[in-house]
This record gives sequence, C-alpha cells and structure tokens, in this order.
Amino acid sequence: MTSQPVAPHPHHVDPSTEQSLSIWFFVGVLMLSCGGIILTQGIYEFWHPGSTVLANLHPAFWWGLLMTAFGLFYTLRFRPGKG
Amino acid sequence: MPAVFIPAAPIPAIMLLAATQLTHLAPIDVAILLLYFAMVLFIGFYVKSAANTSEQFFLAGREMTAWIAGLSFVSANLGSLELMGWAGAAYQYGILATHWYWIGAIPAMLFLGVVMMPFYYISKTHSVPGYLQLRFGEGARGLSGVCFAFMTILMSGVNMYAMAAVMQVVLGWNINFSMWVGAITVAIYVMLGGLRSAIINEVLQFVLIWAGAMLIPILGLIEAGGWHNLMAQITLRMGSEYTHLWSTTGSFAANPMGVHWTGIVFGLGWVISFGYWTTDFLVVQRVLSANSLRSARMAPIIGSAFKMFVPFFVILPGLLALVLLKDPSGHLIQLYPDGSDMVLHHGAYNYNQVLPLMMIRYLGPGLLGLGITALVAGFMSGMAGNVSAFSTVWTYDIYGAYINKKASDSHYVSMGRWSTIAGMAVSVGTAYLVRHAASIMDYVQALFSFFIAPLLGTVILGMLWKRATRAGGFWGLLSGTAASIAMFVWVKTDMHNLRFVAMSPNAQPMAENLYRALWSWVICVVVTVIVSYCTKATPEAQLNGLVYGCTVIPSDGATRLYQKPLFWAIVVATVLFILNLWLW
Repeated sequence: MTSQPVAPHPHHVDPSTEQSLSIWFFVGVLMLSCGGIILTQGIYEFWHPGSTVLANLHPAFWWGLLMTAFGLFYTLRFRPGKG
Repeated sequence: MPAVFIPAAPIPAIMLLAATQLTHLAPIDVAILLLYFAMVLFIGFYVKSAANTSEQFFLAGREMTAWIAGLSFVSANLGSLELMGWAGAAYQYGILATHWYWIGAIPAMLFLGVVMMPFYYISKTHSVPGYLQLRFGEGARGLSGVCFAFMTILMSGVNMYAMAAVMQVVLGWNINFSMWVGAITVAIYVMLGGLRSAIINEVLQFVLIWAGAMLIPILGLIEAGGWHNLMAQITLRMGSEYTHLWSTTGSFAANPMGVHWTGIVFGLGWVISFGYWTTDFLVVQRVLSANSLRSARMAPIIGSAFKMFVPFFVILPGLLALVLLKDPSGHLIQLYPDGSDMVLHHGAYNYNQVLPLMMIRYLGPGLLGLGITALVAGFMSGMAGNVSAFSTVWTYDIYGAYINKKASDSHYVSMGRWSTIAGMAVSVGTAYLVRHAASIMDYVQALFSFFIAPLLGTVILGMLWKRATRAGGFWGLLSGTAASIAMFVWVKTDMHNLRFVAMSPNAQPMAENLYRALWSWVICVVVTVIVSYCTKATPEAQLNGLVYGCTVIPSDGATRLYQKPLFWAIVVATVLFILNLWLW
C-alpha cells in the first residue's frame, strides 16, 4: 500500500469531540439500562425471593443499585453537548 | 493470556457437543441481551461517518485516548473462551493458573509500553507485518502477514463456533441461530465502523464483563467465609499445592500442572507472553490507535493494571468451585477432565463448565442475563478483534503490498469493508468445519502459537539490535516457525517425546507449550544472529526510527512524575511483585 498515515492527531482528544456521543456515554447508557432492569428485579425479589444461593442478601437489588448509580454518573457526565 | 495458549484447557469438543441444557433465561435476561445487541448495532451505524479514510477505518483515526486504547487493548484479549478456559484451569490446577495473568502478561505489557511502543509508533507503521517490512523487507512482511491473516480468520471461526456451542450447552439455543446472529452482527458493526467501532464495543464489553462476572467471587467469598477460610478448605480437600504460586514449582512432580519454574519464567513469562502481548497485531493494533506517543505508551500500562485483577473473577470462581459447588443435596459436585469416561458416559460436568455453573449458582434473573450478555459480548468482541485485525493486514500487507499497490485511499477503505465481509464468511465456514470435526479447534489454537514465539525473536532483534539484517530476520522467522511446527508434530506422534522437549519425564502437556515456545524462540534468535553475521549490515541511516541506538526517540511530553509511563510501570510492577510474594 502506498499511502502513508497522516501525522498523529495533534490534540489529546476523546473521540467524542469529533462526534456528538462519547464512548463513555455509551458505557453509561448501557450500565444505566441494565442496572435499572436488575434493580427492578431486585426490588421484586424482596417480596418474591429467588432460589439462588445467598439470595437472602438480595444481590440483584444491591448490584442493580450500584450499576444504576455508575451508569447515571457516566450518562450525565458525558451526555451530548456537555463540555 | 489468549485462549490460543491453553491447549490443555480449551473449550473441548465434549463440552460443545453436550446435549444437557444447564439453565434458561427469564424475559428480563433476554431484555438485557437484546439491549446489548441493539446498542452494538447502533454504534456501528453511528460511527460509520467517522470511518471514511483508511487511517480512520483501520486505525480509528489514531484518535483514541490512553484509557480507551488501554481498555480496548486488554479487552481484545478478554474473550469468553479465555474466561471459561482459565476458570476451568483454576479448578484443575489451582492457583497456579494465575501465572497466565500475572507473569504471563504484566511484564510484557509494561515492556511494550516502556520500550517497544516508541518504535511501533514513530515508525508510522499500520501493522506489525508493516514494521517487519520496514525493518527486514518484503520477505518477512509477506511471511508474517500471510500467516497472521490466515490464523486470525481461523481463530474468529473458532470463537464463533465456541460461542454458539456454549449457548447451546448453557441455554439450549440452536447452534446455527447463534452462529449466524453473532456473525452478522459483528460483520455489520465492523464493516461500518472499522476499528473505531470494534474499539468502542470492546470498551463496552470490558465494562460488561466486569459488571457481569465480579459478583460471583464476591458472593463466593461471602459463602466461603472469607479468603483465609477458602484457602484452608482448599488445602484440606486438594492439598497445599493448589494454593501456592511458586513454592511448588521447584520440580515438575510437585505441582498439579506438572511445570517447573524455568518453564513458567522463561517459556511463559518471556517467550509466550512477550510474543503475544508485544507482537500479535490483534492487540498491538489497539495501541496504535492512540492519539499521541504518550497515550500509546500509557495504554498498555493502564491495560496491565486492569489485567492484574482479572484473576479475581476468572481464577477465583474456579477455586471457589473446588469447595463450594454443590448439588441440591449438599454434596460437592466433582468436575472431570474433558473427554473422560465420567463426562462421556455418565453426564458429569467438565472443568470448562465451572464458570457457567457458578453463574447459575449465584445469579438469579437479571443478573444471569447480565452474566450471559458478558459472555456473548466476549465472544463477539473476540470475533470483531480478529476480523478487524485481519481486514487491516489483508488490505495493507497483502492486497496493498502485492496485488494492487497504487489504488486510491477510498479503494482501500472499500477493500477493508469487503474483506471484513469475506473474512466473516470464511469464519463461518471455519465454524462449520469445527462443528463437524471438533479436534480442528485444538489444531487451530496450536497453529496460532507456532508463529508467535519466533515472531518475538524477529521483532525484538529488529528493534534492539542494529546488526540484524533483512536476510537474518526472514530466515530466523522461517526457521523458528518451522521448528515449532516440527516439535508439535514430534510430540503429537508420540507423547513420550515430550520428555525431550520439556527436559523432564514428569512434564505434563501444559509444559510442552512453554518449552516448545522457548526452543522455537531460541532457534529463531540463533539463526537470525548467524545469518546476520554472514550477510551485509544494513546502513544505519536506513534504521532511523526503527532500531534502538539508531533512533532519537521524541519526547512524549510528560513533564511531571505522574505523567511519565515509566513511573506507572514501576507502580504496576511493584504491586505485581507484592501479589506474587503474598501467594508465594
């Protein structure tokens, strides 16, 4: 191949600066969506306990809560148009 | 370490052909899986507009930050074959399996960032075969390019079949359905967005795997009563050799893996690890996408910091299963080697099923969907990584180098998109081939390893020794690869020959990989040195930007201590040292 690469990008940029959506925004949305679903299931399991080992610790609720918080932070922090 | 280096613990044909369905997904599990597929496809369409030039399509425009390149770098290797295979290896061999994540990865990643990356980066190469062309000429590029492209596309097919087969075993899904859905999805998002699309999805996969797999060791440690109780129970049941990293490696017979520390240090820690992490274009391509020299140097170091903690959710579940995996009546479930009589005729589980079994043990609806999605993401990411690397090497180092040298940039981008489709089609063919002759999978994985160890010798000598000549590089690479194949065939035809390759009658198959890699590297280096001294040296002026000692490495712009890659490399190395001492 004859064409040589152009010089490295002159600025230390996140790819999001050349598009409107950041990679971290995608991460946030995915975690927020999955976390929301799991959190909902976790709340449901307070009244309908699951049959898995250590279900009494309500892992779906706590893990879902953690993912939702993580996803919410990244979604808001890297939302389109911010910064 | 990649699945290609675990012939003793690949996903076996037996597991793949098992008919028993382990569990099923609830509607919310399916919702999580569909959400992931929708996002992956959206990303492919979304980034298409930013993949119009060859630089954008094949190297993501060289715009990635150190964090994104670093996570992608480690994620490209974090495939589901690897997760399941090494969780099974931990069950089989104990904590020794951790070596493949620590000494078998971290030093090489740090070396790539601190020493090698400047040469890859400032040489402006598009690929590892491209670097070989600059340093050793067309012969070395042609040999490495063809071998890499061929092996990569076969590995993509193996990943595809493995995903479909695991989904069949775990969830009872139709194998054709899984293969085609996976192949079409990956083909769409890589064809549209090139490396940028693959990298974004690898970062997503990285987060998904951590989110989906971290809960198993957390709940497992709670159930076991903490780390010390777990170690005590494993020692009681299996012996202390299952809980020590180094103290049992003084002899082949003293540890369940049947390896000696020399094999671990020199075979795994040096040749295999450095060969894979510093010369396999599948992972190096991710770092080449970095937006500056400092980002390119920091990316592998960031990746190594995360890699160091992967054993927490890969090795630990295997260890936990040794004492916690029980049937409904409370009896420990015993897993057996692949292909054993118990697995074949009595419906017992095999080692590689340990991770899905632990998922089912702890993860209810929703969480199980997350775990399964993480596995699917890992498989798809593995396919995408292979196909995007294939597309680059095919277009730059085969098509652009030998078939059509003077096409326009847009033509090469089109070729990249079409080769993605073609590569995926070949992968599908390979997957069906593996389906009908599952032993092919072992050979494909072994084939890949033939090339990596000698390639390390060629690249290292190329970068660090200016006297290495073009003829030396080519013949060293060729002879090292040929020697590796010859040793593989020699042992395959008669297992007793293993004692000569591994230098001990007590050596186990795992030791063969370590010593075969070591010997093929030694042969490559020796031949390269001899041929180089017999041929005319390359003028130093032609080595500028390619070889240590002939190159003024530009400043990476780091002024403060915390900005310097070397500082962070030392921090990671120190933590690694402490962890090894802790589990000595």
